[in-house]
Amino acid sequence: MSDRMKTICFAFALCLVCSLLLTAASTGLKPLQVKNIQMDRKKNILLAIGLIDSRRIYQASEIDRLYKKNIFKYDTDQTGTIIDPSAAPEMAQDNLLPIYLAIDNNNKIISYIIPIETRGLWGKINGYLALQSDGSTIKGFTVYKHFETPGLGGEIEKKWFQKNFVGKKIVDQNNHFMSISIAKGRAADQVPEEKLPNYVDGISGATLTGQYLTKGLQKILSEYEPASVRFRQNLLQCRMQTDEPWCENEKEK
Amino acid sequence: MSHGAKMKKKNNALKIFLQPIWSKNPINIQMLGICSALAVTVQLKTALVMALSMTFVVSCSSFMISLFRKQIPKNIRIIVELSVISTFVILTDEFLRAYFYDISKQLSVFVGLIITNCIVMGRAEAFALSNPPHLAFIDGIGNGFGYGSVLLAVAFIRELLGSGKCFGFQVVPDYLYSMGYENAGFMLLAPAAFIIIGLLIWLQKVLTKDGELNR
Repeated sequence: MSDRMKTICFAFALCLVCSLLLTAASTGLKPLQVKNIQMDRKKNILLAIGLIDSRRIYQASEIDRLYKKNIFKYDTDQTGTIIDPSAAPEMAQDNLLPIYLAIDNNNKIISYIIPIETRGLWGKINGYLALQSDGSTIKGFTVYKHFETPGLGGEIEKKWFQKNFVGKKIVDQNNHFMSISIAKGRAADQVPEEKLPNYVDGISGATLTGQYLTKGLQKILSEYEPASVRFRQNLLQCRMQTDEPWCENEKEK
Repeated sequence: MSHGAKMKKKNNALKIFLQPIWSKNPINIQMLGICSALAVTVQLKTALVMALSMTFVVSCSSFMISLFRKQIPKNIRIIVELSVISTFVILTDEFLRAYFYDISKQLSVFVGLIITNCIVMGRAEAFALSNPPHLAFIDGIGNGFGYGSVLLAVAFIRELLGSGKCFGFQVVPDYLYSMGYENAGFMLLAPAAFIIIGLLIWLQKVLTKDGELNR
């Protein structure tokens, strides 16, 4: 066999063995990885409402228990009405917005959580924004998946950045909708004082990540504005229905 | 084989294992793999996982490359080395994501970047291609440990001074904090690792009185 033939054969065999190994590992470990990702999302929802501490390590069962006890997923339609899960099927699915409610033992909504999915600099940014039941104050913000540059835009996953969101507002002084924005550098140096509740400190060296996140939050929050308005007007009430609390509009009752 | 030759062979293997840990340490002496040593040494836990991943990759890839060293065509040898190394790296990454999700999230790109770590390619080129598999494997383990020991030393200093912890457990007692002791935030930043590695290199040069004399 000529040398060239030998080289080609060796390269082919190598590729075959390597790809078989990688395929086997990837498919074999997939179920575990998917489970980890789901657990990580639940953990991020709990982090956003401050139910768990980011510095502590939690067992998977503990996360599961806290999630099951406190968090309930619903859909809202475009008027911000929460859909009765049992009566939902006839609605067109793509018009619905998912919303997570954190409900305490007395069936009081303490927070609602909006899933965030927006463009970043290098890829999608996924996270959660939790708002207090007053419909205007941010309770927490987390990012569970992103492709930003580690050390620069990647800092959006860090606590020092996310804790700046806590207590900020999505309304202006006159109680009109005003999305939360990421400032370029320190918010206090960039924006007038009356607008400070709507701005968080930016990350130096990651101006573009901040801009994309600002735009994305603006878009998502305006989609959820009808629901937020209902919270602001205190129109939602929950009652226990068999094993799961059910929330609805008080006015329509 | 005579008894003497056997002894010599054993000593040789031991020497191959010990050299990269001290006198030919990949980070402190050869200045390789510094990039990841800066990035993953904020905590001992990530440093340990990184050290183990690295040891696994460098020893297994050296072993495989040495096993086929007579068959690997010379003209595509770098590509072959790279394919073998990246296969092991991706396997490690998949394994971590399945069993140590949080750690793999913290290590982020750096497990994947083992592929570009000069130590792995360097050992494949310089040792595995010209030595039998068992020695190449030992050489890989030795280099992984040499790399890992520096990583752990740096991570120990950074975690202790930067967050007052050791493997995530608080070791600086509370009464020191109440007396006004504060964690050195600088230790959590990459430049701190650079300075610590510099100091470690200095320490090793002083201890071995190597450096200028042997040049």
